[in-house]
Amino acid sequence: MTQSVSIPGAAKSGRSRSTSPQSLGGDGVIYALFFLGLALTAVVIIYPAFYAIELSFQKAESFISEPEWVGFDNYARVLADTEFWEALWRGIIFAGFAIVFQVILGIAFAMLLDAAIPMKRVMRGIAILPYLLPTLVVALTIRWMLNDPIGVITVGLQNLGFGIVDWYGSPTLAMVLVISASVWLWTPFVTVAFLAGLQSVPDSLYEAAKVDGANAWQRFWHITLPQLRPVLTVVILLRAIWMFNKFDIIWLLTGGGPLRSTEHLPVMAYRKAFQAYDVGMGATISTISFLILSVAVIIYFRLFPLDTKD
Amino acid sequence: MTKSRKPEKGVTVAGALDRMSSPVSRRKVMKGIGAGVGAAAVGIHAPFVHAKQKEIRFLNGEPTVESVRAMKFAAAQYEKETGVKVQMDTVPVGKAFDKLQTAIKGGRSYDIGTLFFIGDVIILASEGKLAPLNDIIKKYEWGPRILFPIDGNNYWYPYDYNLCWINYRRDLYEKAGLKEPANWDEFLDNMAALTGEGDDKTEKGTLHPISSSSATNYFTFGFLWAQGAKLLDDNWNVVLDQGDVKKATMDYLDFFTRLVDHMPTGIAQAEWGVGLRGFRSGQLSHTPGTGRAIDVIRTTDPEMAQKIGVFPFPSGDGANVAVNHGYDGWVVMDTPRTEEALKFMEWFSDEHLINFLHTSAVHYQPTRMDIYEDPRWLAHPALEEYKHITDWQKRFLTDDNVIIRSIDTEGPEPDLRAGKIFRSYALPEMLQNKIVKGMDSSEAVDIAAEKLRKAMAS
Repeated sequence: MTQSVSIPGAAKSGRSRSTSPQSLGGDGVIYALFFLGLALTAVVIIYPAFYAIELSFQKAESFISEPEWVGFDNYARVLADTEFWEALWRGIIFAGFAIVFQVILGIAFAMLLDAAIPMKRVMRGIAILPYLLPTLVVALTIRWMLNDPIGVITVGLQNLGFGIVDWYGSPTLAMVLVISASVWLWTPFVTVAFLAGLQSVPDSLYEAAKVDGANAWQRFWHITLPQLRPVLTVVILLRAIWMFNKFDIIWLLTGGGPLRSTEHLPVMAYRKAFQAYDVGMGATISTISFLILSVAVIIYFRLFPLDTKD
Repeated sequence: MTKSRKPEKGVTVAGALDRMSSPVSRRKVMKGIGAGVGAAAVGIHAPFVHAKQKEIRFLNGEPTVESVRAMKFAAAQYEKETGVKVQMDTVPVGKAFDKLQTAIKGGRSYDIGTLFFIGDVIILASEGKLAPLNDIIKKYEWGPRILFPIDGNNYWYPYDYNLCWINYRRDLYEKAGLKEPANWDEFLDNMAALTGEGDDKTEKGTLHPISSSSATNYFTFGFLWAQGAKLLDDNWNVVLDQGDVKKATMDYLDFFTRLVDHMPTGIAQAEWGVGLRGFRSGQLSHTPGTGRAIDVIRTTDPEMAQKIGVFPFPSGDGANVAVNHGYDGWVVMDTPRTEEALKFMEWFSDEHLINFLHTSAVHYQPTRMDIYEDPRWLAHPALEEYKHITDWQKRFLTDDNVIIRSIDTEGPEPDLRAGKIFRSYALPEMLQNKIVKGMDSSEAVDIAAEKLRKAMAS
């Protein structure tokens, strides 16, 4: 027996969605892909996450050591450690500044690339290039550019009369360095997201505003930004999560130094788990970091809900 | 007469295409998958035709082309002689401990592994993952401070010393009429005399990293050991901030502040290889390092390599000299194939170790004293060519006035606590406090000592 379900609006065009045995093959593929995705997520994300949480309640000097169950001792140790709070604060500073600059520059570049500029397509292609480069390549290139005495930035600053700047010898400059590198690398993501959003803003809104005498800034503030608010909400959320967890650029550029001035929670967790023979502490820092981020995301969605379409 | 024969449909290309063009039903696909799974299941339980060949797995930690080639040659030779296959995998030695752990956790442990940090050996031994090598070790005469016995057992076979000394440009010294420095002031004066513009000068004097890294722990504290400092007493108490040791450490920090004037910027981030690159390019007149510097340079620029001399780290008053300890070795894991692995280790030690050491002849300084007299080892031309260096190497081991220390080998016996203070990077941070923050030496030492105590207690 064949059962058929009509889709409103589809009857006129003669299309119908059928649950016949033939179409079950299609549903099977969907289910197969769904369960495959679920299985992969369970194996590479959920299981490791639960394993890390389990490790946070144990004391172990290595991944092959027989772990000792210590309850909340690791949490007590971490929360009593001033280095943890310093690392948390540095992570907030790093992520905060990186996001602010990425968003401001990303919007500016998006507006520029949306305007009538020569070779627009080529410029759009060039604008996304940094995002396509592997972080390792970028980090090594920056290190060479800052090399004393042959780096191009070192020589350039010297010629401009700034002398030799020791980027790694000052806690402040080291933080400036990792934030700048992050902004350069990941601003294109914001640019592309905003550029896509800009295409959906009706021209009629701008034309009406012009008729009403709105200048460029007023058009941006009262039309572009409100129209792109959903994009902005998601972009800031994603960038915040990624920057707070960002490990590679800091590790490759400064290793967390000098004097731990660029060591945030991911770097600290790595040091504890893989260098300091304290796997439990590393897992605890990661777990707390995860909880902090989760709470921040919940608060963020309360403040900037996505369901404002109506 | 040739009789033409019409090909059967089933074995022609056209026939195959015909079959492909027939509709593929789900039933057919399921049948195919079922048949495949069935065959695989039968195969798993079938007798393995090569099961009789024994195999051991070796994790090599020396990734240079020459070293890998030598290890693979040894493996092939061993298989030819004994029928036992030696599967040789290679990772950089710094990643070997992680790889060994992963293999154990994955249920497929290596049988032999390479390690460069005694703390890692202690971890594996304490977890019962290592087999003692006592019978092999006792066959030979060994150099000082290299066997690191644990509870009376030798769990590792050290194959080279990586002592860290100071490499310098002999040619520039000769042209400037300088002699090897006997104390800190002479060292600073020599660097000042060689710094400047022109062919006989360099831009800077040396480079000792102060980053929170293993490189700093290795390259930077030779002067501290020469000054007579130590981190722990015989009862595992931290003594860095006590009496004469504190004074020696403060002297070292004050000297290091003067030393920084002769270094390029970037020392707070510098890692392995940065000093060597500066030395090789003619930017620096000195660099801390091992014979690796000689081996690296002589392969591409033998003339430059001939210009290199070495001396140990001097103390402030010239009373002592020191080298920073370093080493690499192999461990045999406790696996069902341990017996075979031990046989291979013994065979390799007698038959192929010297070939392996020759792959980086100056860098791989032997740990076995018998090798220094072995004609097979001495036959390598580089050992004669760089005798002025290899003579120093042997003297570092035999001269009682040469201090051999390192952070990871501090304390009365091998113990993970020394490994923990190594990885706490308390001493590099002591330098950063002094150099980056401009902290008073006494305060920097006190903070470092507290960090050492905290690391040991964790």
